[in-house]
Amino acid sequence: MTMGAQGDEHREILDRLHERGRQRAGALPEFDAGKTISRAYAVRDAGAVNFWNVLSPTERSAFERAARPRTFRPGSVLMREGEPAEGVVVILDGRVRVCLSEDGRERAIAERGPGDLVGERGTAPGNVRSATVVALGMVQALVMETADYVAFVSEYPGVPDLVMKQTYDRRGRP
Amino acid sequence: MQQDPYGDAESLFRAFYHGVVRVAYSLAGNKADAEDIAQESFCKVLAVWTRIAALRTAAEQRAYVTRIVINEALRVLRYPYRKRESLGTGAGEREAVDDPVDGKVQARDDLHALWEAIAELPEMRRAVISLYAAGYEYEEIAACLGISSSAVRSHMSDARRQLSRTLSRERKVARG
Repeated sequence: MTMGAQGDEHREILDRLHERGRQRAGALPEFDAGKTISRAYAVRDAGAVNFWNVLSPTERSAFERAARPRTFRPGSVLMREGEPAEGVVVILDGRVRVCLSEDGRERAIAERGPGDLVGERGTAPGNVRSATVVALGMVQALVMETADYVAFVSEYPGVPDLVMKQTYDRRGRP
Repeated sequence: MQQDPYGDAESLFRAFYHGVVRVAYSLAGNKADAEDIAQESFCKVLAVWTRIAALRTAAEQRAYVTRIVINEALRVLRYPYRKRESLGTGAGEREAVDDPVDGKVQARDDLHALWEAIAELPEMRRAVISLYAAGYEYEEIAACLGISSSAVRSHMSDARRQLSRTLSRERKVARG
């Protein structure tokens, strides 16, 4: 085999795939759009989708490449209400508590765990944190900066739209 | 003439359903996986609907959905034997997913390396070359993705060049 031919076999394979694709399209079986749609709604309504689960393996490895792994000790603060939202955090292991300050007191409003993305406000530039997030135990997480997240979403159109979801703030604040 | 965008996810998906299953079936080669790809694609459409709804034309929406379907199909092609929790997919139909193009063992490995390399390409190169592999002609690819035929040609040649580099590098690593 000559050096020049190495890596070029794909051209031949691609042309054969192209031909095979045409043949398959010509013998397309019947598909039921209604069935596809109702199954997809069932998956969604079962709540089986959290951020990490919904990513494909390709998207996950791209996310991992652009993010930084971090470990948070029990009680440490991942982000603080009112501070600039400069990125997002995906929890890989452990649990966190989401808190709001109300009348001078911290009030726990939710818990998040493996696969959840916290800090949705960091998906777009210029936001401040709407809540404080505290590690309940040891937490392994991936941290990604806003600019990298924006680039990631534009590269992978299937990534869940968290930017829009966060527009309805729990307390009606902009 | 430009068609107005669809106002809800279901109408959009029904309108493009034929294209969705054509891409899925042409790449996966069996009905069970094609259905799985279509179902996962609609899940994604629902998840990102606010973004799709904001597009200006139906053609832009079609391009967006096409890109989602391609990424879902590549997921299946890269991991043909992965464990799945899908609803009643027949396991017996799975073998056809990565059947060697010409029946040789070598071809199966080459094919898997090719899908891996395609999945790592930048968005438009990945989309264009996947549609070509699904049997689409350049004009059809252009229509699906809402770009010109010359843009298709240019993405194709960039993609082929990048694939050559990636695959020859991998081959050297494998032999060295």
